[in-house]
Amino acid sequence: MDNIDQRTTDERLAQAPLPTARELRRRRNVVVQFARFVGTSWTMWRLAQKHH
Amino acid sequence: MARVVVLGAGVSGHTAALYLRKLLPKEHEVVVVNPKPTYNWIPSNIWVGVGKMSHEDVVFDLAPIYAKKGVTFVQAKAFALWPDGDADDARPAVEVEHTSPGREGEIERLRYDYVVNATGPKLNFGATPGLGPDGGHTLSVCTPDHATEASSRLEELKGILRTRKQTVVIGVGHGTCTCEGAAFEYTFNVEHELREAGVRDNADIVYLTNENELGDFGVGGMQFEQNGFRTTSQLWTESLFRERGVRAITGAAVTSIEPGVIHYDQLDGSHRDLGFDFAMLLPPFKGNDWKAYDRAGADITSTIFAPSGFLKVDADYTPRPYEEWSAKDWPRTYQNPTYRNVFAVGIAFAPPHQISKPRATPDGLAVAPSPPRTGMPSGTMGKVVAKSIADMILRGAPEPTHGASMSEMAAACVASAGHGMRSGTAASMTMSPVVPDWEKYPETGRDLRATRGEIGLAGHWVKRMLHTLFIYKAKARPGWTWIPE
Repeated sequence: MDNIDQRTTDERLAQAPLPTARELRRRRNVVVQFARFVGTSWTMWRLAQKHH
Repeated sequence: MARVVVLGAGVSGHTAALYLRKLLPKEHEVVVVNPKPTYNWIPSNIWVGVGKMSHEDVVFDLAPIYAKKGVTFVQAKAFALWPDGDADDARPAVEVEHTSPGREGEIERLRYDYVVNATGPKLNFGATPGLGPDGGHTLSVCTPDHATEASSRLEELKGILRTRKQTVVIGVGHGTCTCEGAAFEYTFNVEHELREAGVRDNADIVYLTNENELGDFGVGGMQFEQNGFRTTSQLWTESLFRERGVRAITGAAVTSIEPGVIHYDQLDGSHRDLGFDFAMLLPPFKGNDWKAYDRAGADITSTIFAPSGFLKVDADYTPRPYEEWSAKDWPRTYQNPTYRNVFAVGIAFAPPHQISKPRATPDGLAVAPSPPRTGMPSGTMGKVVAKSIADMILRGAPEPTHGASMSEMAAACVASAGHGMRSGTAASMTMSPVVPDWEKYPETGRDLRATRGEIGLAGHWVKRMLHTLFIYKAKARPGWTWIPE
């Protein structure tokens, strides 16, 4: 049986990786995020074009 | 002259109608039947639900758009199909009840040459006693009105949290719900708003879901390659829950709700209660209450519609165990196998099975996320069906000429986790295909080059951009076809 009980979910959350202070700064950095905005938008547009 | 009737003006139906009008010369008629006079960009309802957008920001009138484009608009609710015609007329018909002011309750049979069912879901709050804002004890963000009510209740909650602790429960209200992504979004938008208001410390936020593990999102989760490792959407999502201090209850089927208490069962067979002060739980979906009749008036509903109320299309509906499910089971053309001029797109088509592994409690209660069929795939289905019908009308094509299976098409999902041009964040995910194809991609079921996930401010900007672009596209403004589905 592969059911996962509530205790397991709680345990997994307690052990989940936390982002470092550097990663949190990266997620907020306007210059880095603008580059990611362009990259993500391009990826989505390309996927939409390729598959449809 | 051919007449194409599109039932529903959501993402898939509206897309189908606009493309049909673009592809078909003016002597052919395109008719849209929708019970409401407005279009709703549903993905942004989340932001209405936290007061960051207004009702008007996500809704606009359909009639001026259709008048400009030459589409006939009928404000009515479709409820019966007569695909062989009726005693009076051999032409197929769809029976509708008008809802526009002055014509409420008027019944009419609209004749068609082709019909596209894009009526979306019926929000089945009745499946769980006590669920929903209309007579129940929980909130919803499924419609702009529901989201507006949720927003005002959230404002009240902020005031209460200044003086005492409260429990906030957000998730899904039945074991077979879909759209877990929307519940995830609302959870983190509420968390973000409470933090911005300085009252987060007094809120215990709980995400209550039928997903067996976090990050499933009804698509069986995803695997990504990131920083030299192969990781999972489960680990990625759990990280966000831990970072933001949100508790999670997984594998839960809500059975009933009383004022302040949610009763739910879990996969281990336990029956549990969860107290709440503020709860937003999404309802399960079902098909609309359709009937179908042959020319003599005999009931043929089961020929066209699945028991769920969704319309049967070119999928393989043979019942099989999970281990034998195949990507090939999923439909490509969305044409009904019995009536070749009947199509269904978006949520209205009957899926062959779930994408996530279905599970049940020892008592037999289903804990099985339904497959999402919204957003990008929904618009794509509308477009390919429009192209097929146009070819069938203009070139006499005997079969649909275009297809887009969810086991082939990619999808992008941008799950907001907080609104704000500098403080916002979102989880941006792309996956290809939506339905894993284990024959083509034996390791992960999906193309790892196109399946990615990322959290950050950029995701919020992308979602905000998509809001503007898709409303522009839905208004059929100049160049709308350049914006992909």
